[in-house]
Amino acid sequence: MVTLVTSDNEKFTADKEVAERSVLIKNMLEDVGESDQPIPLPNVSSSVLKKVLEYCEHHRGEPLPAADADTTQDDTRKRTTDISEWDQKFITVDQEMLFEIILAANYLDIKSLLDVGCKTVANMIKGKTPEEIRKLFNIVNDFTPEEEAQIKKENEWAEDR
Amino acid sequence: MEKFKALEPLKLYSSSPSTASPIRKGPVAPQFVGRLPSDLHTLILSYLPVPDFAAYARCSHATAALAESEKIWEIRWKSLKMDKELSAVLDDLEEHVRGRAAESRAAAPPTISVDDEFGDFASVDVPPDEMGDFVGAFQNPTTPISAAVWTNTSKSTSTCRAQYIRAHNLLKPLTKTLPSPPHIILNDLAAAVTSSLRLEASTLRLLSLFLSPIIQPIRKWRECKSSLRSAMDRFDANLLAAFDQADEKGDESGMREAAESSWLVWDGSGDWEMGKVWAEKREIFYDQPWDPLANFTKDRGLAFDAMDEFMSLVLKAISEHGSRAVRVFPPEAGVLISFSDRVASDVVGEYIASVLTRAREISVDIFLKATAASFREAWKMVDTIMAAGGELTSLTRAEDVVYRMFEPNMDEYLDEETEAVKPAFEEICRGWNRQTSERQNSSNADSTARFLTSQNPSQVKRNVLASFADVLLLPVTIVPKTVTAVGGALVSGGTAVGGAAAQGIAMLNPQRWGGAGGAGWGGLNATDQMEKLDTLLSLDVALELIHTSRESLKRLETFTGYPDRVGDRVRDTIEEVFILMLQALNDKHIKEGFSRATDRMTTYKPAEHEETTSVAPLLQFFELVHIGDTIQSMVQVYFDKEMAPHIDKTDFLNSVVREKKRFENSLDDSVAGGLNAGTEVLMNQVEHIIWKLTGPREYYPPDDATMELKPTKGCTEAIKCLEMHCKLLKGSTSKEVLEVFHQEVGIRLIAILQKHIKRQIISLTGGFQVISDLNAYHSFITTLKVPSITADFAHLKMLGHVYVVEDAKDLAQIVRDVTRYGGAYRPEDIYEFIQRRSDWKKIEKTVDKTMYNLSFKEDCIIC
Repeated sequence: MVTLVTSDNEKFTADKEVAERSVLIKNMLEDVGESDQPIPLPNVSSSVLKKVLEYCEHHRGEPLPAADADTTQDDTRKRTTDISEWDQKFITVDQEMLFEIILAANYLDIKSLLDVGCKTVANMIKGKTPEEIRKLFNIVNDFTPEEEAQIKKENEWAEDR
Repeated sequence: MEKFKALEPLKLYSSSPSTASPIRKGPVAPQFVGRLPSDLHTLILSYLPVPDFAAYARCSHATAALAESEKIWEIRWKSLKMDKELSAVLDDLEEHVRGRAAESRAAAPPTISVDDEFGDFASVDVPPDEMGDFVGAFQNPTTPISAAVWTNTSKSTSTCRAQYIRAHNLLKPLTKTLPSPPHIILNDLAAAVTSSLRLEASTLRLLSLFLSPIIQPIRKWRECKSSLRSAMDRFDANLLAAFDQADEKGDESGMREAAESSWLVWDGSGDWEMGKVWAEKREIFYDQPWDPLANFTKDRGLAFDAMDEFMSLVLKAISEHGSRAVRVFPPEAGVLISFSDRVASDVVGEYIASVLTRAREISVDIFLKATAASFREAWKMVDTIMAAGGELTSLTRAEDVVYRMFEPNMDEYLDEETEAVKPAFEEICRGWNRQTSERQNSSNADSTARFLTSQNPSQVKRNVLASFADVLLLPVTIVPKTVTAVGGALVSGGTAVGGAAAQGIAMLNPQRWGGAGGAGWGGLNATDQMEKLDTLLSLDVALELIHTSRESLKRLETFTGYPDRVGDRVRDTIEEVFILMLQALNDKHIKEGFSRATDRMTTYKPAEHEETTSVAPLLQFFELVHIGDTIQSMVQVYFDKEMAPHIDKTDFLNSVVREKKRFENSLDDSVAGGLNAGTEVLMNQVEHIIWKLTGPREYYPPDDATMELKPTKGCTEAIKCLEMHCKLLKGSTSKEVLEVFHQEVGIRLIAILQKHIKRQIISLTGGFQVISDLNAYHSFITTLKVPSITADFAHLKMLGHVYVVEDAKDLAQIVRDVTRYGGAYRPEDIYEFIQRRSDWKKIEKTVDKTMYNLSFKEDCIIC
């Protein structure tokens, strides 16, 4: 069993197998060796970690992607954009939580969860207007109208009308 | 906790958003764009459909830069797998579009929908110019970062993004037609490119790569993809028809074009239809005029001529159709191999299966032979496939065809091979044991036999081994045929394989070596051979065992190339066969023979035998040692020649090497045990001779007797006996064993002689006789060349002097002089010896006095 401590000082225990789906935790445990010491995760809040552990629990035992970052990068791209049913349900959360999960997955280095999150965001972008996307990502429009028109023209080829 | 404290900062900072994140590749410095770091934006973009990029890019400068990041487009561009052929499609499309655009400007377009698109597209199809304009217009430095990025990407047309945009613009118009029924799609596409089967096929392929989940070029890519698939299927069906037509006409270039086009549109799942259909149509699968059972002769033997003919038919089909397949089909399709595979499993495999089923019914032996033979026959396919395929075919794949086909038979075969070899070995040993016991009953052990008394036993042995090695080199016929010279005569008696082995044994008939081997071997192995000898070991048995195992080994060797699991099993079986052979030879033959010989020796009582010069069982035992040694050498030769290629000889953990070591050790043990018993018997015999032949007054002759000063009869006889036995052993055992044996003989002889002397009464004249005897023993021992016992005997020789010294005082001096005997005898020991003098009573007092300066009788208080 591994004990994890969140940013808001809440303690979680999880099976080693489950916790090690996070490459970050796995490497930590490898570096430290067998230990009962709690692992501090100052970048993750308890509500998010609860969600993340739920995901890891569900996917326990599945093969982890190869450690080599370069190949996994390609591998993830080769996969389809489809999200499995369970993951779909799992990731159906409010926007705030979705981004939290993505950031946590990125920090904890859980590739598959990160992919699920990013696919979901990609799906959310689909068909949205620039203004809606800005809202989604909390981006400030720093274009002058001329610039925006230029960019629009620039990317016209991609549009599907 | 402390441990973590030490680690914590490192992990934390390195993994703070972006730097340590798994996707940190972006050239953009790690920074947040809105809520997420830019590298996560990149990841999201990789899942974003192309049409949404337009809106995304318009969000802000940062998103605009991200949307153009090369990494995202590189993945998409690469997924198009652009090669020569596909880029040719793009060029062709471009040309057509230009042509059409010009045309449409001039005249009314015939195909409205498509042309509309082209018109539209033509205006977009000048990105480089526009970009140039754009960059120029965008010189104002309000957004320096993104401006820099833009200039970079836009200036170079060779970036992945630019290349992708070109492909996108060319391919997208084609997707417009996709919702239509397949034949319309095909028509439209054919209109879009130069009309050529290959080009159309490439276009279809490119489109199907374009409409992929990685790219998601348009919103409805999924629907488009499935209708494209059905169009491709239709296209493929047309190609198939065209191919058949060309095939009927024998038009290879037509076939080739259709085949290559069909290969291009094949989606990579399942079997490639065209290759499969073509292979299925070959007549070899339908017209099968052969009879597998023709491989069996009337008397249930094997003659594989029928299979030969069958194979030549198969091979002809493979080389004829196979080479055409190579010419017609694209090499990646591997039609030759899949065709050969089909032939192997459907035709050859079936054939072999029925041959083996029949063989099985007849006997295990036939089954084993048939298996090896049919595999050897089937193996010919490999060469033919290679010949048909040329250098594009890999040998491994060709071999795999045969291996795969034959694999179902292997397990059974390998099981049977070891199963069959065990009883065969046992039968050989048992048969021989039966023979010997019969012989034993009918004839007595003949003690006059001289097995290896020939002048040069080691020469004889070398001859044996030389001919044995020759026999091993004889080829074993795996595929039995009636026509071969060797098999012809022998086929009635079995198979050619058996024939070869039989001939091998005949070759080993010792009569053939008689000339070189000398009388010893001739005498042993001629007509009445062992009947007289009652030898307990037989070279013949060893030979038969080795041959049986060799036969099975040779069969197994045909399979050694097998890969993976079966290959491992084949190698295991080879080792097992060899081990079984050694075990049979060792446990059932050598050990038994030796233990019987040892038994016989220990029960030997010298007194019961009149003949004195030789110990019959010891002689026989020495013969055994020679035979055992020869057998071991044979095993060694066999091992070196046949087994060595299959195993690592230096690997002392290898079971074969271990078993061989065990075999050798057990042989050595048997020899040592026998030798021990033998020495015992020999020395008993010697003692018996000395005791029996020494007359009561041999060393105390009457005064009138003439002195000859020759060794006594007992002495010469004993030496003769020893000499003969020692010589027999020479050359048969190792030098070390021989030395130990000689030493043992010497030590025991000294004990016997000392005991003997102490039993005698020796006069002064008889003393010379003792000396002469001792001299004779000494000179015999010298010939054995064992230094330690030679010294002992030299000292013993000196001992004789005490019997010829007349003066008691001098005698006492001699007795006291310890150095005389090199420390081998103490004065007390010598004192015992001089007590045997006939004049002892007379000189005792003087000696005592001189020796100890006292006289017991006078000075001892107790007396």
